Amino acid sequence: MTALVFGGTASGKSEFAETLAAQGKQRTRIYLATMEPFGQEGQNRIARHRLLRREKGFVTLEQYTALKSLHVESGSTVLLEDLGNLCANEMFSPAGCGGSRAYWEIREGISTLCAQAERIVIVSNDIFSGCEQYGGEMADYLSLMDGLHQWIAGFADLVVEVVCGIPIYHKGGQAC
Amino acid sequence: MLLIVGGAGQGKLNIALEQTGCTVQDVGEDGLIVDSLHLLIRERLAQGRELSTWLEQMLPKQAVVCDEIGCGVVPADAFERRWREEVGHACQFLARHARRVVRVTCGIPMVLKESSRPSFAGNTEKENVE
Repeated sequence: MTALVFGGTASGKSEFAETLAAQGKQRTRIYLATMEPFGQEGQNRIARHRLLRREKGFVTLEQYTALKSLHVESGSTVLLEDLGNLCANEMFSPAGCGGSRAYWEIREGISTLCAQAERIVIVSNDIFSGCEQYGGEMADYLSLMDGLHQWIAGFADLVVEVVCGIPIYHKGGQAC
Repeated sequence: MLLIVGGAGQGKLNIALEQTGCTVQDVGEDGLIVDSLHLLIRERLAQGRELSTWLEQMLPKQAVVCDEIGCGVVPADAFERRWREEVGHACQFLARHARRVVRVTCGIPMVLKESSRPSFAGNTEKENVE
């Protein structure tokens, strides 16, 4: 089962995704954290998310780039949080593969994950309804994100948008 | 309380008036309908005033209308980021307590939550007129 869960800032997408991931029968639950912990704001965010998923039985695995090198237990649950950070890391971080290769690099990473894990929940960010017009790297970043969203949504069993903590099912239903 | 969300310029206030039977005279921070909650939150944050007690005062309202401002690229400015976060958390809080949550797109209301029971003990809502 693959699910794409997306929403705006503080929409409640993470909490929803954690609950969805934890609903599976899989023994091993991996929280795949992609955000590099920069600054106080980053630390606070991480602390808040840790508190949210406490008692949901996740093992945290930090991997900021190159998901294709990951090995996870076969038949496990993986909660990838989140695609926006992974894209930013591959594009902009020194360890990343760079903007021109990011799309295929991330596709390969996610495919590798899907081949190993049984239940995959990918959290992503709705960043497409702002009012500013972007050029350069930011336009490339938006285009990377939207390309990956469409690719994942194409094969995912479940595509859910979270608004004010409430899920809107764009593909698949609550049975997943 | 009805929570009405959506992008800017989608006809949210019209839906709020339609679904509550209120008129424009009822709109205001102290009125039955609170419009543009996102701007009120921004003002309070800029003034360093607290949000949670103030948000609880929204629960007995007829309707609260708020723009969804968290669906663009994360801003570089720390205050702008904090504003988006607080608006997101506020909408989640209000949605938990709302009798109905509606998202409006192009003037079309999509009901995200509907509960038959009153959501708040101090509910002062008028009879539902739809």
